[in-house]
Amino acid sequence: MSGGPLIVQSDKTLLLEIDHPDAQACRMAIAPFAELERSPEHVHTYRLTPLGLWNARAAGHDAEGVVDALIKYSRYPVPHALLVDVAETMDRYGRLQLANDPAHGLVLRALDRVVLVEVAKSKKLAGMLGNRVDDDTIAVHPSERGRLKQALLKLGWPAEDLAGYVDGEAHPIELAEAGKDGGKPWTLRSYQREAVDSFWAGGSGVVVLPCGAGKTLVGAAAMAEAKATTLILVTNTVAGRQWKRELIARTSLTEEEIGEYSGERKEIRPVTIATYQVLTSRRGGAFTHLDLFGARDWGLVVYDEVHLLPAPIFRFTADLQARRRLGLTATLVREDGREGDVFSLIGPKRYDAPWKDIESQGWIAPAECVEVRVTLTDAERMSYATAEAEERYRMAATARTKLPVVKALVDRHPDEQTLVIGAYIDQLHQLGEYLDAPIVQGSTTNKERERLFDAFRSGSLRTLVISKVGNFSIDLPEAAVAIQVSGTFGSRQEEAQRLGRVLRPKADGRQAHFYTVVSRDTIDTEYAAHRQRFLAEQGYAYTIVDADDVLGPTLPTFD
Amino acid sequence: MSTSLADHLRSLPDESLAALLQLRPDLVVPVPADVAALAIRAQSRVSVSRALDGLDQFTLQIMDAARLTRDPADGTTSVDGVLALATAGPNPPAPTAVRAAVDRLRARFLLYGPDSALHLVGGIDEISPYPAGLGRPATELDPRTAALCADPAKLRRTLLSAPPSARAILDRLAAGPPVGSVPPGALQAPAVGADDDLPPDDTNGGAATGSPVRWLVDHRLLVRVSGGKGGTTGMVELPREIGLLLRRETGPLGPLSSSPPQVTATPREPKAADSAGAGQTMEVVRHTEALLEQLAAEPAPVLRSGGIGVRDLRRLVRATGLDESTAALLLEVAYAAGLTGELELPGAASRYGADQQVLPTAGYEVWRAGSLAQRWEQLARAWLTMTRQVGLVGQRDDRDRPITVLSAEAERAGAPAARQAVLGVLADLEPATAPSVDEVLALLDWRAPRRSRGRENAYREVLAEAATLGVTGLGALTSYGRLLLTEATASEDGATDDPLGLRADAEDGGSAVRALDTLLPAPVDHFLVQADLTVVVPGPPEPTLAVELETVAEPESAGGASVHRITTGSVRRALDAGYSADDLHELFRRRSRTPVPQGLTYLVDDVARKHGGLRIGSAGAYLRSDDEALLAEVLADRRVEALALRRLAPTVLVTPYQGGRLLSVLREAGYAPVAEDATGSTVLTRPKIRRAAARVSVASRALDPLATPRLPLPRLLGVVEQIRRGDAAARAARRAPAVVRGVTPDGPVPTHGHHDALAVLQQAVRDKALVWVGYVDAHGATASRLVRPVSLGAGYLRAEDERTEMLHTFALHRITAAVLEK
Repeated sequence: MSGGPLIVQSDKTLLLEIDHPDAQACRMAIAPFAELERSPEHVHTYRLTPLGLWNARAAGHDAEGVVDALIKYSRYPVPHALLVDVAETMDRYGRLQLANDPAHGLVLRALDRVVLVEVAKSKKLAGMLGNRVDDDTIAVHPSERGRLKQALLKLGWPAEDLAGYVDGEAHPIELAEAGKDGGKPWTLRSYQREAVDSFWAGGSGVVVLPCGAGKTLVGAAAMAEAKATTLILVTNTVAGRQWKRELIARTSLTEEEIGEYSGERKEIRPVTIATYQVLTSRRGGAFTHLDLFGARDWGLVVYDEVHLLPAPIFRFTADLQARRRLGLTATLVREDGREGDVFSLIGPKRYDAPWKDIESQGWIAPAECVEVRVTLTDAERMSYATAEAEERYRMAATARTKLPVVKALVDRHPDEQTLVIGAYIDQLHQLGEYLDAPIVQGSTTNKERERLFDAFRSGSLRTLVISKVGNFSIDLPEAAVAIQVSGTFGSRQEEAQRLGRVLRPKADGRQAHFYTVVSRDTIDTEYAAHRQRFLAEQGYAYTIVDADDVLGPTLPTFD
Repeated sequence: MSTSLADHLRSLPDESLAALLQLRPDLVVPVPADVAALAIRAQSRVSVSRALDGLDQFTLQIMDAARLTRDPADGTTSVDGVLALATAGPNPPAPTAVRAAVDRLRARFLLYGPDSALHLVGGIDEISPYPAGLGRPATELDPRTAALCADPAKLRRTLLSAPPSARAILDRLAAGPPVGSVPPGALQAPAVGADDDLPPDDTNGGAATGSPVRWLVDHRLLVRVSGGKGGTTGMVELPREIGLLLRRETGPLGPLSSSPPQVTATPREPKAADSAGAGQTMEVVRHTEALLEQLAAEPAPVLRSGGIGVRDLRRLVRATGLDESTAALLLEVAYAAGLTGELELPGAASRYGADQQVLPTAGYEVWRAGSLAQRWEQLARAWLTMTRQVGLVGQRDDRDRPITVLSAEAERAGAPAARQAVLGVLADLEPATAPSVDEVLALLDWRAPRRSRGRENAYREVLAEAATLGVTGLGALTSYGRLLLTEATASEDGATDDPLGLRADAEDGGSAVRALDTLLPAPVDHFLVQADLTVVVPGPPEPTLAVELETVAEPESAGGASVHRITTGSVRRALDAGYSADDLHELFRRRSRTPVPQGLTYLVDDVARKHGGLRIGSAGAYLRSDDEALLAEVLADRRVEALALRRLAPTVLVTPYQGGRLLSVLREAGYAPVAEDATGSTVLTRPKIRRAAARVSVASRALDPLATPRLPLPRLLGVVEQIRRGDAAARAARRAPAVVRGVTPDGPVPTHGHHDALAVLQQAVRDKALVWVGYVDAHGATASRLVRPVSLGAGYLRAEDERTEMLHTFALHRITAAVLEK
């Protein structure tokens, strides 16, 4: 029995004790094939999934190596059945290959004839396969490349996509690391460079980086690598403008080369930034803006916030399999559970770094997470107790008792830029009045938003109340305190996104603060616990305090 | 011959006889009366067959050599003769090996007598008629074939002239067995090469195809013999001489191999094999426990036909996350180990109609308290000895019914022997050698060919089960598996040495348990608590720790370590179980190797604060009043002490007694209580007067009950009218035509044609006309009816009788006549 740091569980989770001297080496050994699931402070949990094992196989690791790593670092005997299962699963990848045949175009080629016969008979592939070229090869319609890969993954015989990518229309793009227009010189951070390199080596895939870790720059660097026309898909117009600003500042691109394709403007330029919303808008049941995908010979498609990718975009993406695709996200957790589609259509995960690692390297601000529990007044408790089930969360989340607590929290950090985030418009208006702060919400015009954000960035505005529009892709680097008062029920990724608002590294390395104000003994508390799970698994320890501790006078301290 | 064996046996010293009985233990069941009886039994077909079953392939071949070299005159052979025949072919075995084989046969008295005049045991020819797969000598079969065989040159020429298809048949028969059945008609078909206009055939080198068997029979190379089932197929036999001639290349006995086939598999690292096996043992124990826990929570009903139904197995499979075959194996093993048993349900027939359930036994508790290795050893031993072939579960039996877990259909008495055989093969190899399944099967086939025939599937299953149970790891027998096997066989062999079972070290288990113990992780008494409220136990928990965790946390993941999550629900459960918040804090502080996160402390306090905020109790009745002083007075009143009143709130008292008692006692004591119902309104009570059920006075009856009732005039007139109407109707009723009635005053009418009747009916259906139908009813009586046909079809007439307004159905074949109403 070796005293290794790893414990292999029979449900295929791996527990890594990180205080163990070999933990670092073990992590390096298992990272290629195991997915990091949770990384709390003492024991990290990895999971062996078919997707992860196939990823490793795609990257050139063989089953023998995986089994060796498990046995080498495992503290306890590894069950025989699990080892057999690992070897068998890995063996399934690459038995089928998608390749370009000089004579027949895109073909599905089998290294194992039996597998080809098996999948060719499957009803799920009906209509995707063309004529049989020879015993081991079947022609594939190029338009079915994405759907075929999806279907084969479901059948458990993932195909290796060797068909390559089109280069797209060339367009010179360089990173302006020397500084542009008198700006300061800068360099890509080491993990950003690694992310770009592993993405480029893999062809297509997803890069997972925490909020504030500079995902935009990874995108920009990928574009500089591709040197081709690029389509960037973002969640909303404000995020799109941010991309544009960043690209102009950090690359050789000029204002004229970047187009915005949104509800307001319909520009198609060598680099075009489109919103999910405009792409998925329909008129008369038909998607009216699909032409964008064929408007130019795109060499690279960048998907911002992959975890929010709407279902129709998946369908369009199935037709884009010949183009390089880069997905960027802070978390692969999808509330709708479509992680498998992200894998087969956009690509496997190419790079992942735990939040705490990047924080310890100083790239994102350290954060303190605090849950403040507010005791409702008797009247509020009474009306909560008698409310309809669907009204309960709103009642608990928007309790007026929260207002003085929020005020007290804002006053606690008099010198910090503070964001107050909520989901209910009425509540935000109350807060706005109570705190005397402007509000950014869905109905706020883009111009007004830009003005307020600029004011906030410059420091002339200290407190800003924002609604759900602030969840994503708003770059407010100086925000150091976030106070959330209500949210979209138990959404884990919303919590992560909101924390991300305050994680941009601060000029003086200050600590960021993330407060959640919840009503005690209500469904609000339960949702808060659910929301916190993702971050807790990422190693953020929440402290829970009572509202009285916040409101009460600071006790004198004695040295 | 039997007398000579008897004589021979009689002349033996006691030790040699004992040695014989040890080798062939079936001879002493029951103990034979004398040596003659022993000799007869030793030559009986059953006993000889058993003796042969245990022999390896090479020894059997030497036995065949002895049979072939028998002197036809006196039936004896010699060691030299056997040796000459065995070493006749290419690659001859070493003479010592042959002699050793002969010695083995002599030890079992399958051969006996001096070297120069060896006798064969009787009955051997009944068991396998064709020694070494060779046919009978030609002289016994057919004189003309014997003549051919007597002329070697001609025989060789005939063989060389055989067409390829015929030669292929010869080669197959020469390899043995030497008889084959012939498809019907093959011997009537023209022979191969019978120069008629046969179509050319590619498989026969382009030559014309005919029946190769016919050719062979025509040329006396094969002999037709009687046999075959039902006489539809003929049988042909290859004479011994021709068989021997054809075996020039391999030797007269076929390929000989005096040693078992070699295993070419690369040996594993012994530690790796042990480790993989040990990992598997942990899984097996854990999964068995999970299955049995599931059974305890919801016992599985026993089917009428025995066993656990497929549906219940699936339920267990779903709940435990195992696959069906593993779950079936573990259930069988647990049952064999006595961990589960049936419980009669007295009188209660559940919805399955079953009155027995399978659930864990009391032995399960003992088993659970044991160490991992002990628990595994109990399971593995049960597996070794259980007479069940679990691989049959899920297949279908002779009557095409699925074989279920624990049912009688999966019972196989030979299962333990199969396991012994397979594991024995693995144990005889170098430690940590991992032969492939086919290699194991080949070895088994060499060791006891007569036994392994038809058992390949069972052997494969044994290998798979051994891997599942962790007896083997990475395909090799583990070190502790080897010890378990030797212990199991030793206890079998040693039963006589240790009749009292003094050496059965049940206390600490055998050496296998100790060997396995060193491989398994030691139990831990601590855990790691993390901020996401998970608790990781980095190893198998100590029993006390396991009990504590079971109460305060939900299991999330199990295996070498276990992960639990602390939730509001689990903390509440712990509080319900009697822990206080301080106990829980203390528990986490004591057990955790890491600082207890603030979130957990807060959670415990938060749940504890709310715990017990609502209280439940039972009471027979309550007493409430807005007047607190009055209630205080009642509570203090000694006269109502017997009511055991208790104050719940300033305005509410409760008593365990019923409301009526409370009311009467309080009234007696001079209070003025009023009862109230569930809605709070008062229930007023007045003394209730008892009454019998209501009855009617006789006054309403008629004065003279015997007088006939007199009817009033209008009613009488109505009666008269009814009578008259009936009379008129009867008079107006017409009689059926004579044809239909079948009689006339002049005697029977000529038979009305059935076809005519049908035609009339069809017309009537079209015209919707009234028809007289005559028919014969089921009792043979004729009747006639005036009806309006509705439909005609499927042998029936459906028709409406307008008078009775009923729809009648007539069988067409019963209709004698049909006449249209005129």
